[in-house]
Amino acid sequence: MDGAADVGALVERAAAYGMPALALTDHQGLSGAVRFYRAAKKAGIRPIVGAEIVVEPVGCVGDEGDAPPTARLPLPPLAGFGRAAGQGFHLTLLAKDRTGYANLCALITRMHLGKTQRPSVAGLEDLARFSEGLIGLSGCPYGEAGAAVLAGQASRAERALAALARCFAPGDFYVELMNLLVPESPRYVATLVGIAERLGLPIVATNDVHYVEKREFRLHDVLAAAGARTGLPGPYERQNAELWLKPASEMRRLFAGVPGACDATLAIAERCDLDLGLGTLHFPSVEVPRGETPYSTLAKAAWDGLGKRYRPLTPEAVARLERELAAIQQLGFAEYFLVVKDIVDFARSRQIRATGRGSAGDSIVAYALGITDADPIQHDLLFERFLNPARRQMPDIDVDFDSRRRDEVVAYIYKRFGEDHVAMVATIQTMGARGAVRTAARALGFPPREIDALSRNLPWTSARRLREVLAAYPECRNHPLHDQERYGLVIELAEELAGFPMHLGTHLGGFLITKEPVWTWAPLQIAGKGVAVAQYDKDDVEALGLVKMDILGLRMHSAISDAVELARARVGEDAVPEPFDLAPDDPEVFAMIARADTVGVFQLESSGQRNLATRLKPRTFGDIIAAISLFRPGPLEAEMITPFIRRRHGIEPVSVPHPAMAEVLRDSYGVILYQEQVLRVAHAVAGFSLAEADLLRRAMTKDRSRAEMEAIRERFVEHAVERGVDRSAAEEAFRQIEGFAAYGFCKAHAACFAVISYASAWLKRYFPAEFACAILNNEPMGFYTPRAVLNDARRHGIEVLPPHVNRSDAEHTVEADGRAIRVGLKDVCGITQRTLAAIARERARRPFLDLADFLRRTGAETPEAESLIRVGALDGLGLTDAGRPPTRDEMLAMLPELKAVIAREGVAGDDVLLIAPGKARTPECPQHPSGWSLLRRVSAELEILGLSISCHPLELADDDLDRCGVTRARELQALDDRTRVRVVGVRERAQTPPTRSGKRTCFLTLEDATGLLDVVVFEDVLQRTGDVIVSNRAYLVEGTLQNNPERGLVIVAERIEPYVVRARDGAPVRLRRAVPSGPLGPQRGLAGAPEDEQDPACSACVQDP
Amino acid sequence: MGRHRAIKQYRPADRAGQPLDLFTGRATRTPVILELLRSPWIVRGSQLVSGPLGSGKRREEPIEVVWDGSKRAPAAFEWNGTRYRVDALVQTWSVERAWWDPRARMSRRCFRVLARGGLYDLAFDRHEGRWLLVGVVD
Repeated sequence: MDGAADVGALVERAAAYGMPALALTDHQGLSGAVRFYRAAKKAGIRPIVGAEIVVEPVGCVGDEGDAPPTARLPLPPLAGFGRAAGQGFHLTLLAKDRTGYANLCALITRMHLGKTQRPSVAGLEDLARFSEGLIGLSGCPYGEAGAAVLAGQASRAERALAALARCFAPGDFYVELMNLLVPESPRYVATLVGIAERLGLPIVATNDVHYVEKREFRLHDVLAAAGARTGLPGPYERQNAELWLKPASEMRRLFAGVPGACDATLAIAERCDLDLGLGTLHFPSVEVPRGETPYSTLAKAAWDGLGKRYRPLTPEAVARLERELAAIQQLGFAEYFLVVKDIVDFARSRQIRATGRGSAGDSIVAYALGITDADPIQHDLLFERFLNPARRQMPDIDVDFDSRRRDEVVAYIYKRFGEDHVAMVATIQTMGARGAVRTAARALGFPPREIDALSRNLPWTSARRLREVLAAYPECRNHPLHDQERYGLVIELAEELAGFPMHLGTHLGGFLITKEPVWTWAPLQIAGKGVAVAQYDKDDVEALGLVKMDILGLRMHSAISDAVELARARVGEDAVPEPFDLAPDDPEVFAMIARADTVGVFQLESSGQRNLATRLKPRTFGDIIAAISLFRPGPLEAEMITPFIRRRHGIEPVSVPHPAMAEVLRDSYGVILYQEQVLRVAHAVAGFSLAEADLLRRAMTKDRSRAEMEAIRERFVEHAVERGVDRSAAEEAFRQIEGFAAYGFCKAHAACFAVISYASAWLKRYFPAEFACAILNNEPMGFYTPRAVLNDARRHGIEVLPPHVNRSDAEHTVEADGRAIRVGLKDVCGITQRTLAAIARERARRPFLDLADFLRRTGAETPEAESLIRVGALDGLGLTDAGRPPTRDEMLAMLPELKAVIAREGVAGDDVLLIAPGKARTPECPQHPSGWSLLRRVSAELEILGLSISCHPLELADDDLDRCGVTRARELQALDDRTRVRVVGVRERAQTPPTRSGKRTCFLTLEDATGLLDVVVFEDVLQRTGDVIVSNRAYLVEGTLQNNPERGLVIVAERIEPYVVRARDGAPVRLRRAVPSGPLGPQRGLAGAPEDEQDPACSACVQDP
Repeated sequence: MGRHRAIKQYRPADRAGQPLDLFTGRATRTPVILELLRSPWIVRGSQLVSGPLGSGKRREEPIEVVWDGSKRAPAAFEWNGTRYRVDALVQTWSVERAWWDPRARMSRRCFRVLARGGLYDLAFDRHEGRWLLVGVVD
């Protein structure tokens, strides 16, 4: 991707030039084609969709390798064309029509999927086979003809052109002329014109556009260098900056000698009339029984499901289903529902946990079919929010599957719909600040270590904000990028690179399913994971009207399955009900949530959610839905939480502009919290139908001009006044809708999540050991580190048992009738699957007797054995001459000699190798079998396991904490509001979500031995202490405690200092690996339970001082 | 004797074997030379020298240029105290090099012109905002 032109800017400029048509030819693909097609259509320009592909050399006589080196034609540089770069010559293809488009997709797919002779390179046969509907242009100076002319091999150029032309229909192959304003250009153009005349081929003038404006040439050079993993001047060594979009007059001036070449561009544009049929929906084929239609099959299944969901069946449910089925029939979406049902049914039949999410929860059909689990009638969910009969748009049903078994579902989809009909959807990875700085610095030739130093500790932000971040963020105070003289150009380039596409990624769970072979719709390529991925992202797929299914993996599903299995194994199959089938009404579960005891609970565990729980005091399932909805970036930014909580607790009265809104907003105390409520308000106040109301909501949530919004307002108010509503009340109602519509959250989505939240909370309440164990076995997931999850279990009275080769499995397990967790061996740093399997296999034969026995039977490598010894997994094994088991130091001393003996004498026989302990340190703690002090044990655990098993690291510093007058987490609840406190904790999370005021506030989640500490650092304090937070792992925080029902329990920091955890003897504890550090901000891949979602934000619940 | 008389032709029919002038005057000579320079099969002497601008003799001399806005090309230039009227514009090209290195960067618009029977490469340096004579093929 070395094109430095934004598609929108390109089209805009072409329109400004008055160009009637424009062609986009991405390298080896059509990644930007749909976006370009839409933009061009919108601008009134004819879009010509094409690609620049790599074709094998065709013009040499015999084998090129046989020719003397001087006579060989150099291949294009290794850049810009993926693995085909430098493997062949460039050729431009343009689609004349739908057939040409399909052939182009098929050809590119064939190349990338390795079906051509050379990977990603087209051969002459491939070209000839797929040339129908395509126009071929001979390519840029890196085309074979162009390269041959530049190398002075005109005859080769002629042979190549003749061979290529034979692949296309007569008149469909043009000799491409480029005048790139280099000294060779006149000779280049003249030679090609001469050859074209001799061969009777038409000529066409083209412009090798890589950027819109001339000044953007630097970006192209940098991107090309990045693509080739080289420094500037980059692989092409461009001689000038002439690859910009030139107007027709300029092009005609450049080709003054061959005016026909410019005319040919218009002729080609006339011939290329591709209609992608945007707006038409294309569903995959579904099999229905003989005599049935997709609709009848769907209706029967839905009625059948409704009977199972509603016992007894209510008239409301019947009427609703009838209404929804009629709408589905009218919109023609029956096949889509059947496809989703088919996949979910498969998962259920294999006991793979699956739940729908998103606005699909608004549909009773989805609920009846078992796709979603939240009752749309009980939770007042509106079908029109999901499918609007007035707006035919492809429905979108996302389904979360058990993460561990998602591959089974994916395999089924490929089998069910056919390999040729399924592909994954791409995502376009763009550059953030770090990526942009790295790319720019690499291009400018800085050494790798220096590049690492430049990108390290940069916050996750847009590169456009780089200067602002460097100037304002305290954690960047000493950042090397401040050296303007050395890095000024890096910053300049990085800013220009902001948001630029880097490469195509694979969507986490998006699958494209088509009736026709998928490669007639979109080109495919092989992703890093080895799967075929379409070159289009989800927006492109939606625009093409194709079905995209989100098959997402949810680790919480895996954790719930594991926890249920562990619980059933302990207390019996019948004693543990299916958590998803439980009525969500257990007061014990709600009490647990209300006291913020939610570590590990789906969607309710983050520090902000825990704070909200203490303020909200959830009592019902509806409260959980509200909590999930309130704690989203939109509602947080709109500060909906404060009025919601104040009204809930009667601190301020519930007030609505019109009585009709009171009923609609009853559940949310007059605050428009859900998108569904916007529809209800418009219906109640202005008398809009729900479908009309949804159109209004959509119109309001998009970027609208002031005039457009005013028109919407007038329409709303007029409708309301016609119904007898007071004008001022109608205007106020609209003002509220306007203010909240953009921020409201889809209630159906929250309801779908709330089902999982309740199930996980129930398991935590009644099976805490199994639940914690399941969470740990499915890490990484959720908000907290494994260390914090384990510590939370310990605080719930669950004993944490150390790993041991004779007792631990690879995974964490539950022991002592649910009162203890045995730490598994899989988390031991550096341990291999082979050794884990050997331990399990050998232990099944008989337990390990001592270190020698262990080494001989498992063949563990020295570093693995060392880690196992240091973490205590071999404690208590064997006997020394002193009549006691060897200490860890003694085992470590014996280890090299034992390994040497085993290597020398082999592993045959069952003789125990007797080796006297080597010289080792005197035991520091003779009463413990390890011989190690608590400090050494904890340090080793933190380093090797990332967990603290023996005790919390801060327990080692208890005396010092007492001396410093530190308050522990569990004591905070009893303190009064506005008490000054001093706390010490190790870092769990440090986040800086966007706030309405635009000020930067850091929400710091710390942990001490007694619990979690939520600290808020406002901008002024953050300015002083940001670098302390970023570069340390434990802190001493002084501040004021907020402890009231309105604001919850949180410490407002005034001073933050690094805290070095030391044992009594003054030796420091190494927290590395177990305790995170680094930049503030939303960290990718860590937060939020659904793997595809960013953590929403942190709490916005603290009063700005 | 005008420079156009330096090129001679030999006619076999002319028994005396005396060389005759190929061109009768400048007006007949210029279009032929232009055509020859544009011909792909001709390798110019300047290209035999591996200079960055492909000039026979590389120079870096500031000069005064009279710009013709309508043709977007130089109309005349003054070099060594002599004024050269541009007879024809042979070729233009552009140079943008080493933009990341302040010591080596080069940004120029170059014009190869025919003047007084010689071929001259004029360049406008965008950074310095001045004209240079960068090559001469005489």
